[in-house]
Amino acid sequence: MLIELESVTKIYNQGRPNEVRALDAIDLRIGAETMVCLRGASGSGKSTLLSIIGCIFPPTSGRAAIAGRKLSRLPDRFLTLHRRRTIGFIFQRFNLLPELTVLDNITLPLLPLGVGPADRRARARELMERFGIIHRENFRAAQVSGGELQRVAIARALINDPPIILADEPTAHLDSRLSHVFMDLMAELRAAGKTIVITSHDPLVTEHPAIERIIDIRDGRIHAA
Amino acid sequence: MQILARQINVLDYALSSLWRRRMKNLSVLLVFTAVIFLVASFQMTTGALTRTAERVLENAPQITLQRMSAGRQVDIPPEYAARLSSIYGISRIVPRVWGYYFDEVTGANLTVMGLATDRMPMGDQLHLALASGSFPGPGSRGSVVLGRAVNDMVQARGSHLLSLFRNDLSMASFEISGVFADATDILTRDLVVMNIDDARDLFRIRGDRATDLCVYVTNPNEINTIARKIADLLPDTRVVTRPQILKTYRVVFGWRSGFGSICLLTALTAFIILAWDKASGLSQEEKREIAILKVLGWQTADILAVRFWESLLVSGISFLVGVTLAFIHVAFFDAALFRPIMVGWSVIFPPFHLVPEMTAQVVLLIFCLSVLPYLAATVIPAWHTASVPADSALSGA
Ligand SMILES: Nc1ncnc2c1ncn2[C@@H]1O[C@H](COP(=O)(O)OP(=O)(O)OP(=O)(O)O)[C@@H](O)[C@H]1O
Ligand SMILES: [Mg+2]
Repeated sequence: MLIELESVTKIYNQGRPNEVRALDAIDLRIGAETMVCLRGASGSGKSTLLSIIGCIFPPTSGRAAIAGRKLSRLPDRFLTLHRRRTIGFIFQRFNLLPELTVLDNITLPLLPLGVGPADRRARARELMERFGIIHRENFRAAQVSGGELQRVAIARALINDPPIILADEPTAHLDSRLSHVFMDLMAELRAAGKTIVITSHDPLVTEHPAIERIIDIRDGRIHAA
Repeated sequence: MQILARQINVLDYALSSLWRRRMKNLSVLLVFTAVIFLVASFQMTTGALTRTAERVLENAPQITLQRMSAGRQVDIPPEYAARLSSIYGISRIVPRVWGYYFDEVTGANLTVMGLATDRMPMGDQLHLALASGSFPGPGSRGSVVLGRAVNDMVQARGSHLLSLFRNDLSMASFEISGVFADATDILTRDLVVMNIDDARDLFRIRGDRATDLCVYVTNPNEINTIARKIADLLPDTRVVTRPQILKTYRVVFGWRSGFGSICLLTALTAFIILAWDKASGLSQEEKREIAILKVLGWQTADILAVRFWESLLVSGISFLVGVTLAFIHVAFFDAALFRPIMVGWSVIFPPFHLVPEMTAQVVLLIFCLSVLPYLAATVIPAWHTASVPADSALSGA
């Protein structure tokens, strides 16, 4: 199994008055080369679960193993190391740096790996060609359209060639046409061998034919497999 | 290799990030440069004053003797010198005549010093303190060596002679045989050095008397012991040693530079607080950037390295430019901006020319007081932000 969670619990602000139990005893196994949707209402714990799968923080209790590595008790430094080898993130509002060019945004994950500029550019150009944004290479992110930004974000998630792609409510700010385009791209990546986890309550996502499995979350618990 | 490549990437990113925020960084750079310029100028000015004074005093007699009567200074008869011969360790006693001369025409106060150069140890090396000309020879009467200001005054009158009036209003004229060097300006500016007999004639002092006796000792370590013996032997004299004079100078300059430094350090502190607030108080945008970089796999150390390079460049450039400008300010403009602060000094020393001293110590001190705090002020807040989990990029809209 690529992703294995066993009675994973996440408590924010533990021991303080504003303590929140965001995830409660989650058991979840996701195999390689699948496309999964985490569905749930606002505040149900989707983002928190995605953060644990994405090695952003370890669970408060329980066991989590991502791509063969146990997360619990792993110091931040090693979480980061593991994250950049294993995970590609796509965020709701893309989280690009508006003042950087499209090229520089896409290559951001390569800088701490010590990849040189020529190599970075070559790898980014390949992805930009593939997603049809090569003509925007030297535009600042603030200057390109929403649909293009989305593809820049996908290119950035893929630049390290990670086995797992995580997308947190990727269509929340897209119109239905762009949402379709996005899901079709994800389906392509899935066909190319990636494992994809998308959180959403958007029917355009949950009812997309490429989705192989829907996991319902309510109040930090999984309801139907 | 990989570490090096990573640092190059990080530096690259820091440079482009500086460029992206160029307006903000430029304003920090300007303020920072100005503060360093002020502090460095001040340090160099006071350093120059102290050093000049010390260098000039190196040639001063080790012990100076004045006779006091009713609390005022009076002439010393030749017997006094004779009575000192019983003290072991004195190598030489040289009489000297000096006094003040008020020039009614210009309102200037001159210091007149009559020396017996032939009897002074290393008297033949005195010419090293001159910019041009030479000291009057042993027997040569009627010529003087002038400080820069006195020389300027004489030149302004279009004359080649220095004319002074005796008490009885008869006139004594002197030929100018030399001018003191700029480096000694602080002590020689208003000085007129002449043959001791000329000085006796000018001040109407009896032929064998002097205003003070310069005592030279064989072993410099014994200055204080010998000074005490002299004071015991001749109770009506005031004995001043060279170490005492040096100490006085250090106290005066030290106090002033200490006071000035406190003012300037206050400015520096204010700047650092400002920097803490502006340069480092992370804006929402910067926090977002840090969170994004973290999620994308940047280590806390990488993010701090970016901040470090940015701050090092801003403060390093400010430091270099500030110190260079300060050197120019002191060396070529005689610390013109500090004139108002130095009003007190002009009582002791009229406007003088400065030869700046830039010691490694001073430069290091300024570095430690400017660049280091700035680095801390910018890197530490980034560290706070970068070391929390990266989920704010996810949860934040
Ligand atoms: N950093 C945090 N500190 C404290 N509480 C948090 C934090 N992040 C999330 N929570 C809380 O944990 C619970 C689950 O949050 P989470 O963001 O995982 O839900 P979500 O399903 O992603 O919601 P949404 O659809 O609004 O994005 C919520 O009650 C939320 O308020
Ligand atoms: Mg969420």
